[in-house]
Amino acid sequence: MTRDDSRLRRAEKSWAIAVHFIRRELRNRYLGSISGGLWALLQPLMQLVIYGFVWTYVFKMRLPGGDASPAAIVPFLALGVWPWNAFSEAVMRSATAIQDNAGLIGKVAFPRGVLVLAAASASFLLHGIGFIVVVVVVELLGIPLQLAHLPLALLAFALLFALALGFGYLFAAIQVFVRDLSQVLGQVLPLMMFTAPVLYSREFLPERFRQWLDWNPFTFYPEYLRAELLGMGSVGVAAQLGALGLALAILAIGYAVFRRLDPRFEDFL
Amino acid sequence: MNEVNDPNARREDDSLLAVARNLGKSYPKVFRPRDRLRALAKLLVGNGHIDSVPVLRGVDIDVTRGESLGLIGENGAGKSTLLKLLTGVLTPSTGSVEVRGRVGALLELGAGFHLEYTGRDNIAMSAALYGLAADELREKLPQIIDFADIGRYIDEPVKHYSSGMVVRLGFAIVAALKPDLLITDEVLAVGDESFQKKCVRWMEGYLASGGTLILVSHSMYHIQKLCRHALWLRQGEIAAAGDVFDVTQAYLAYHERKSAAGPERGIIAAQGVEFHLLGLAVNGTEQETSLFLDQGDSLCLTARVRSRDGREPTVAFGIARADGTAVYGVSSEMDGVAPQRIDAHTWVAEIVFSDLSLLPGTYTVKAHPLDTEGVRLFDTIERGIVVRGSTREFGLVRLQHRWGPAVKSDAARDAGDSDS
Repeated sequence: MTRDDSRLRRAEKSWAIAVHFIRRELRNRYLGSISGGLWALLQPLMQLVIYGFVWTYVFKMRLPGGDASPAAIVPFLALGVWPWNAFSEAVMRSATAIQDNAGLIGKVAFPRGVLVLAAASASFLLHGIGFIVVVVVVELLGIPLQLAHLPLALLAFALLFALALGFGYLFAAIQVFVRDLSQVLGQVLPLMMFTAPVLYSREFLPERFRQWLDWNPFTFYPEYLRAELLGMGSVGVAAQLGALGLALAILAIGYAVFRRLDPRFEDFL
Repeated sequence: MNEVNDPNARREDDSLLAVARNLGKSYPKVFRPRDRLRALAKLLVGNGHIDSVPVLRGVDIDVTRGESLGLIGENGAGKSTLLKLLTGVLTPSTGSVEVRGRVGALLELGAGFHLEYTGRDNIAMSAALYGLAADELREKLPQIIDFADIGRYIDEPVKHYSSGMVVRLGFAIVAALKPDLLITDEVLAVGDESFQKKCVRWMEGYLASGGTLILVSHSMYHIQKLCRHALWLRQGEIAAAGDVFDVTQAYLAYHERKSAAGPERGIIAAQGVEFHLLGLAVNGTEQETSLFLDQGDSLCLTARVRSRDGREPTVAFGIARADGTAVYGVSSEMDGVAPQRIDAHTWVAEIVFSDLSLLPGTYTVKAHPLDTEGVRLFDTIERGIVVRGSTREFGLVRLQHRWGPAVKSDAARDAGDSDS
């Protein structure tokens, strides 16, 4: 609330507020339920077991190279599903972050951007932890992972976070004006998942469709993670630079739109 | 002793905590979803000009350190909007606003509490929003809980609170912040008697220790008790600003006249009744706004009457208290005087009450034309007057009096009090 303090002090305060909102988000989702924090660990494992079962025995998936054992399919799926969960949840939750906190925005002056930052961060924190749990379990089960490349994988997660945050700022600002946006997102995001190689691999597609995947901004992430951690396929430098450029561009555009609309939020909430 | 009545009491040399210049706010007109979409497009690519309704116009405020300013006005006059602009929750549409120092604000109820969380959690949240560090909060938490005094409810979700408890908690947090500038919107209206007293006592202490206050209230009692200056907003503009007694009395007088408003003058004139009033001047002015007088001033009422048939009118003048209780009334016919004829159809009557003995308060003065015989009453004009003063006598007028064996009390001698 102090309006005349230095930039550094302001940033520090914004961060403190953001941390507070992140904690609140996490508690909202887990501590309210009876099993509490345990659920945060159990849920990704259960999800993995069920996905592995369905894809191995019901859909009878065969990985590129012909491997059809659960031991190969489970890590393959994990590297698509976890980044996707983090991304889609972050986008969905940050899109309504401003609208959901209308009461607070109308009563206390604080940098509103932290609401979006907190929503996106909480999603990535939770699914990031889930991802690490999965990596550890997969490793414990004796399935070979190239753990030396884990830092690269986490870097890709950071980039994915920037992409999600960019979309988050953009949609959160627009949502204030156009209330249907979050509903549309609920419809569009699943389409985005199925048009990216989350639950399948590019090689499963007929030759002529394969290039189309590149139009989906999410395609890069599962492919890169599988290449780095499982040694499955490879992602070229051009694709890596493209993903970097796109994520930063979306973040810049999203933040610019947010900044531009921010002063008018209270008028339209 | 009359220091509060001096509009120049504001100290110019003090540092300014809040400054607003030509401050204005308009809300966009959005009725259909299409309007929202159009507004979005304009904000993103256009000049940002949106069809909007002004709710606040041309407000200039200077709040110096140690100032206590009361904001009064009807519902929808723009008080809350002004507070939101001062706290930075709203962005001004025109003009500028600048606030320095730590601001504690209690806007509407609840200070932005989250209903699902306990009081304790909400304290932590508010503390973070106000920029309180974790150790500062730890230190102040017992003090906050103690001030709010809501017992076991502190660990229950805020949705189970009564509106009074929400305000208690909100006020307790703001009080613990020790802000340089405290901005509160109608806090006192919700709490119970004992909490109101606690708040008022706290605010008095806060002001005494150099705090600065901007208070919105519909209770003139609280405004007068806590504020030195007041600002009256009417339809988004400053109607009056200055000493708290002058402004609140003008505001109250405005309300009385509003609720007692008779038919329009033009309508009466058009009806062509035998006698009607052309105007009433109070101490030479025909303005609708209340006239301020001090005890002992003289009051001069001048009525101009038009007579349809050129017959001489009787003119009656009266003074009533704000609630309608008659104080005094007299007519030219009773005193055996005649109004002065100006032309064939116009008469003027003037009455002077010198050394006005009315006690401080709000009064209505009235003028009526009657027929020549002083029997039928045709028309009425009322004006508000406000008698200022800070005497503690009660009633309507000061009656001539003297005390028995006259000895000055010890207290009066010590204080050198010159009040009778």
